[in-house]
Amino acid sequence: MLTYALRRLLGMVPTLLLISVVCFAVIQLQPGSFLDQFREDPRVTPESLQAMTRQLGLDQPLWAQYLNWVRGIVTEGDFGYSFANGRPVGSLIWERLGWTVFLAVLTLLVSWVIAVPLGIYTAIHHHRKRATVLNFLGYISLATPDFLVALLLIALVLNLGGTNVGGLFSPQYIDAPWSGAKVLDLLSHLWIPMIAIGLEGVAGLMRQMRASLLDVLHQDYVRTAHAKGLAARRVLWGHAARNAVNPLISLAGLSLPGLISGTIIASIVLNLPTIGPFLYDALLNKDQFVAMTLLMFSALLLLLGNLLADLALAWADPRVRFD
Amino acid sequence: MHVSRAARFLTLVSLSLLGAAHAAPKKMTGLGALGVTAGKSGGTYTLPLGDSPQSLFYYGVIDNNLGLISQQMFDGLVEFNLATYKIEPALAESWTISEGGKVYTFKLRQGVKWSDGQAFDADDVIFTYKNMIMNPEARAGDPGNFKLGGEAVTIAKVDAMTVRFTLPRPAPAFLLQQRYFIMPQHKLAKYGQENGAKPADINGAWPTNVAEGEVVGTGPFKLANYTAGQKVTLTRNPNYWKVDAAGTKLPYLDKLEFLIIRDPQAQVAQFLAGNLDQLNISGAQFPDLKQKEVAGAPFKVVRSTALFGSPPFVAYNFDAKNPALAKVFSDVRFRRAMQLAVNRERIIDSVYNGLASLPGHGVAPANKAFYVNTTRQLGEFDLAAAGRALDAMGLNRKNAAGIRLLPNGQPLEIDLTYGTDSAVYPPIATILQSDFAKVGVKVNLKGILSSRLLATGQSGDWEMILHAFGDQPDPELRRPIWQPGGSLYYWHRAPQPAKDGDPANTAKMAPWEKEIYDIFNKAAVEPSASARKALYTRWQLLFAQNLPVTPIAKPENIGAVSNKYGNYVYNLGVIPGYNPVPLIYQK
Repeated sequence: MLTYALRRLLGMVPTLLLISVVCFAVIQLQPGSFLDQFREDPRVTPESLQAMTRQLGLDQPLWAQYLNWVRGIVTEGDFGYSFANGRPVGSLIWERLGWTVFLAVLTLLVSWVIAVPLGIYTAIHHHRKRATVLNFLGYISLATPDFLVALLLIALVLNLGGTNVGGLFSPQYIDAPWSGAKVLDLLSHLWIPMIAIGLEGVAGLMRQMRASLLDVLHQDYVRTAHAKGLAARRVLWGHAARNAVNPLISLAGLSLPGLISGTIIASIVLNLPTIGPFLYDALLNKDQFVAMTLLMFSALLLLLGNLLADLALAWADPRVRFD
Repeated sequence: MHVSRAARFLTLVSLSLLGAAHAAPKKMTGLGALGVTAGKSGGTYTLPLGDSPQSLFYYGVIDNNLGLISQQMFDGLVEFNLATYKIEPALAESWTISEGGKVYTFKLRQGVKWSDGQAFDADDVIFTYKNMIMNPEARAGDPGNFKLGGEAVTIAKVDAMTVRFTLPRPAPAFLLQQRYFIMPQHKLAKYGQENGAKPADINGAWPTNVAEGEVVGTGPFKLANYTAGQKVTLTRNPNYWKVDAAGTKLPYLDKLEFLIIRDPQAQVAQFLAGNLDQLNISGAQFPDLKQKEVAGAPFKVVRSTALFGSPPFVAYNFDAKNPALAKVFSDVRFRRAMQLAVNRERIIDSVYNGLASLPGHGVAPANKAFYVNTTRQLGEFDLAAAGRALDAMGLNRKNAAGIRLLPNGQPLEIDLTYGTDSAVYPPIATILQSDFAKVGVKVNLKGILSSRLLATGQSGDWEMILHAFGDQPDPELRRPIWQPGGSLYYWHRAPQPAKDGDPANTAKMAPWEKEIYDIFNKAAVEPSASARKALYTRWQLLFAQNLPVTPIAKPENIGAVSNKYGNYVYNLGVIPGYNPVPLIYQK
């Protein structure tokens, strides 16, 4: 298993390199340059524009810009420089990573905790009225974009006279030290993003769980277990559900890159301090090293997520063997 | 504006003040017309910020969000009177302008302290001008204004509290420009070129993770906290140098908070929820908020006629790639004819909800010093007359679809480039498209990001464009835009010099363009205010008759403010030297 993991990890290097070349090329294909926004300002003289081009290294050929960036990462762990912020990219991302991970993990947990039991319920109560209603609701939440849900919730809160309409804290708590009141304030804000972002995941996962369990319920080993006279509950939880969860493990692995790009619009609408809007800005402004680093980070998460999912599968399913 | 006489008078006034007191705080009086009354100390005021600041060093990045914060933390030598837009003393207590208008001597305000208690003096001013404002490598510097006719302006320290600028030639707008924020030498010395730093190093000062105590200014507030992506908190600068009419220290507020909210709708929601105390809104948002105000919501919606702010215009590319179109576009008869098909009334009513007025020609109607009423030249919306005018210039043949034909037989079909991510450009573009179609001119809409409009304009790759440039108190400050051959005069790029800094190619200008070109050159060095006014009057008339661009409307400024606060004066955003926030108080 260890050699397998190592082999996979090593295999990621060429993949990432290839992805980085593609990302860089795509970013360069975008029209314009970071400096375009300065042209509009009458303060900026052509002389200053030239100076900035030189400062940012934009006067160098593209391949040199790319190679410098890669060299910085390999030799110094330096992910380049944000043109807009005048700071190393690494520390900028680090600043925003905390809340991003917190929100992503929380929404993931919430959606799993709700979706898996619902999926099981709708599978075993297949064709019954309540399951059909739940399925219908699932379809609707799947079809509603997260930012729309966010907007509707904001409008609802406003109309009810509430004040928690975005962000994670009320203004006075944002830079206050942690306290019980601050936690309560966080909780009173948190439910909107949980619903808006989590709901979409719930519907998808629920349907996945349902389909996969329905599949398993008709397998021979389940019928054998029933025939052997095992209690229905043991069969369901010990055999069927355990096996049906496999595809969900792969899904969980694939959901890692969603950390970065999954909730851009909802984050903007809900004013959440996550990385998504930061990536969006970097792409719009052609702040190329920020965009590159985030895209690469996203790609790395996808590869790692896949690996973790495979390892988890091996652990969960005795049929999967790597050696 | 009688610059030298006014300056001499101010010098006398301030000299007498100097005799009376050592520290000379500035008294904020005469603002009754704006509704300013005596306030009381205390309170927190919360404003929106459109995005995280990119840095905390004003001259290191060009960033409107940083500008909003900086304008509360730093001051310049001079500032605007909030009511009249006239230049008043700020960090400079007085100044003299030599006969001939070439030597400006600024006497600095006595007793001003930085927010960390250090004394402010001439060294700070010189340090800031040399390393930031006049430094071409500083991203938000303004070196262009310190090279006049190819020669550099020099700056020198006369004594600890006196600074002197020597200009190679007279420049009447020079005083108006000296609203640049002055930065503390004692905190930034290591970025100074005199201490061995490279000119570009200054851009790296005060990144967003700098310790709060490092960011030191003379402004009404100082930095207290920045939480990445969420909030910037400023607290009162106890050393601020302004007092109100009764002598109470300003600012009134204890704290000024900026919540970082990117989405304009989310800003409105936060304002309605009471988490923001003030918000600038657009004409489209006005009816909803006004309705809520009338229904008893705890805020006021305030309209004010604006000097600053960007009036949109339509421009035709005189150098369009299609030579037949270029020929038509550079024909003034075409631009005048098409102006008759621009339905300004409808645009003002439906796009701006009536919260806009007719535009001036390069000068805002609210600008008492320079504006000339050219409303008559805007013409009335009259499609029949537009059609007749197009017929008269020989565009009278039409194809089966009713589109006029160019002399070479091609249909008169124009691509209109406009910004899609704006509340006003898309509806204006559609109105123009539908009205132009009625006079047989087919318009194809070509949407791009608003932030790319200028770059597209300057690239020359467009036919007709919808764009906006801001008004300024003095036309000299917008010379690159309105002087033919200027770097932003992009609708006719042929007269632009081949190399930056060279004189414009006057041979490529139409006679009226040549006249405007000369007017700007003359007015730039003309010391007499009345002579300048006469020159710019002639320019506005030439503009109105020849329409280098067709101005559409001048939007009003609308702000909403919570009833908990007094002394609200509309504030467009980043206008260095125009800051009413120190006067705001919590009732």
